[in-house]
This record gives sequence, C-alpha cells and structure tokens, in this order.
Amino acid sequence: MDTSLFACAQETADESARFLSVGKSCPKDTETAHKRTLVVIPAYNEQDALPQTIDSLQSLPANFELLVVNDGSTDDTALVASRLSTVSLPSLHVISLPLNGGIGIAVQTGYLFAVQQQRFDYVIQFDGDGQHDTNAIGQLVDTCERYDLDLCIGSRFLPESLPGFRSTWLRRFGIRFLAWLISLLGGARVTDPTSGLRCAGRRAWTIFATQYPDDYPEPESLFWCIRNRLRVGEIPAVMHERFTGASSIHTLRGAYYMLKVTLAILVDRLRPRECAAG
Amino acid sequence: MNAERLMLLGGVSAFVLTLYWVRSRQLRERYAIGWMVLATILLLCGIFPNLIMRFADAARLSYSSAVLFIALGAMYLFSFFVTVSLSRQHRQSARLLQEIGLLQSRLEKLESRLEDRAEEVDRENGQAHNGQRVRAISAVPEVNPRIPR
Repeated sequence: MDTSLFACAQETADESARFLSVGKSCPKDTETAHKRTLVVIPAYNEQDALPQTIDSLQSLPANFELLVVNDGSTDDTALVASRLSTVSLPSLHVISLPLNGGIGIAVQTGYLFAVQQQRFDYVIQFDGDGQHDTNAIGQLVDTCERYDLDLCIGSRFLPESLPGFRSTWLRRFGIRFLAWLISLLGGARVTDPTSGLRCAGRRAWTIFATQYPDDYPEPESLFWCIRNRLRVGEIPAVMHERFTGASSIHTLRGAYYMLKVTLAILVDRLRPRECAAG
Repeated sequence: MNAERLMLLGGVSAFVLTLYWVRSRQLRERYAIGWMVLATILLLCGIFPNLIMRFADAARLSYSSAVLFIALGAMYLFSFFVTVSLSRQHRQSARLLQEIGLLQSRLEKLESRLEDRAEEVDRENGQAHNGQRVRAISAVPEVNPRIPR
C-alpha cells in the first residue's frame, strides 16, 4: 500500500477513509448534492424485510433514486416493491427478473439500468434485508467525491468501525483469508472484501454493467478493480443483523463460496490488465 | 459376447441415438457431428477387431486396451467443451434475463404514463363536452326568435 496516500487520508481528522489502490489524491472540497446516485437493492424473497429497508431510505435527499431488483422471488416481493414505489419519497424503480439469476446478476441489472438511464454519477449496492446502515450511503458518496474514487466499500473490520453484527467466526476467518489473498495478489490492503455495501463511480459501474461475476461477486469484482488500477477505498461501516429471513450463504455452500472465489481471484491474476490506469 | 460385438452394438446404438435426437430436432447437427464420428470409430472397431491391435502396434502402446484410454481422452475433451458451451449459454441467458427485466419495467412505466394520459384526455374531453352543452343551451335563445318566422 502507498503509505503517503494513507497519510494523506489520515490528515483530515474527520475522515477515516482508507485507500486501497494506487493513485495520488488529497481530499477535495466538493458539493455532492447535485450528484445523482442510484441505490440498487437486490431482493430475493424479501417481502417482509423490504418495507423496513425502503422506510429507512426515505430520508435520502432528492438526488438519490432507489431501484429494487426483484431476483425472481417466489414470494410477494414484486407486489410489495411495486406498492412501495407508489409511496416512496425518493423515486423508487422496480425491476423484476422473471427467474432467479443470483445476486451478481441482480446487481448487474442495476448497473445496466444506470447505463440505460445515463443520469447517474454513482451506483450504490445496498442489501434488501436491512443489514446495511442508511447513514453509510451519504458517507460513501462523499468519500468517492472527495478522494475521486471509483469504488468505495463499507467495511465492518476497519479499526474505526463501530461494533455491530460481524458474522460467525468461521465466516470471519473466510473473510480474513480472502482479504489476505486480495492483499497479497493485488498489493492493496483490504479489510472487508465480502461487504455488499459499496459505492461505484461511473468508471467502475460502466465496466460492471458489461462484466460482473454471477455468484458471490464482491471479492472478485473488488480484486478486479484493484488489479486494473481503479481507485478503491474503504470507509468504516456498521452492519446490523438481518431483519428477517436467512442469509443466502449456508454453511454447506461456504466451502463452495471459498473455493469459487479463490479460484476466480487466482485466475483473474493470470489475466492481463484489462483497463488502463486513469 | 466379446468386446468386438459389444463395440459393434455400441456403434450402432450410438448412430441410432444420434440420428433419432437430431431427427426430433433436440440435438443440433453441430454437436451431432462429434457423436457421429465417435459412433463411426466404434463401428469400425467392431467390424474390424484387429484394427485396435494394429493401431496399438503402430503407436507402440504395449497393450491394446490402452487405446481405450485414448477413447476416454476423446470423451473427456468432448464433455469439457460441453461445459464450456454451457457456461457461454449461462451468460447469454443471464443477459436475456436482465434485458427482459429492464424492458418489462420500461413497459410498465410507459403503460402507466399512457393510462394517466388517457385519463387526462378523457377529463379534457369531458370538460369540452360540458362546454359545448353550455354553449348549445345558451345558443337556444338565439335560435328561438327565428321560429315564429
């Protein structure tokens, strides 16, 4: 990691953003109120949690829009989402995929929507199950804007992160392993590669719209960004326990998760860089 | 039943199977070609049993069943490329899935805008009709005086 960069990030007392990738930058004084941001909420069978999640996002200012991507749910998620869209204060769009495609495909649909609409500067991924903290949304956009980042991750494991739900020890071990792997192969120290709370700038989301892993996309896409010299950062974030329902990663799938993601990262390391440094 | 007869039977059934599936349009000719080649090899081995022996001798493989490992290798390659093609298909169907979702949401938005517009037009027309009725009523006195003539 570039230590001068880290120092630069630490100079501002209020700012606990941490840089991961290459590039030189100092905080800019920027106004983010005019930055149009899309909050993508992937939802698979989240009919019970979705109203609370959308409710928590009602305080967002007018430059934010919401998009629920219903990933072929078998319950009434589509109905709940379309009802919410008629009452939501920030405009709420709903896209229903006819079949269940997986989290990566659902999130990528959000990036494709942003490409189609052409009016967004940032696209934020925010889980539909109530795990993520609404306050982080503004901070993510601010950090991206101030430090000119292409991708900013809400991390549970930065020293400044407030204690919250941090998952079971086995998963934490898995997360540590992936963080170590990405740090080793990508040359940037990451702390929470599996976090689904992330803000992508235009450069990142236009690429994500064309290529994004279908399943368990977070660590792989983060590694891709670091490898291809996109500007990546982390901010401390707190996560809550899910409102309802169960996580999509069960114990048995955990082994597959680790194997698949590790393989994907190792293979990605073998590819030539696909994107010129900006 | 010896190995040669078994191969003969295998070759014939592979042919029949492939032709049947292509005929019912459930297997593309593109993939059928590979299976036909395989069936032909099996058939040839069944009809000319010493073909394998000769091949083993020529290739300096110590025993003829080693040739079967080559066949296994061919099968491996074939299945491997099937999974490659499956991965490509998966990506394509995912893309289509997303496109359907995006289009559907655009369609719904358009429909609701159209409905709103239709309601607006209806309301405007209703007002216009009312207006005409009012004018018609007010026009009555003008017409009436002419009646006596």
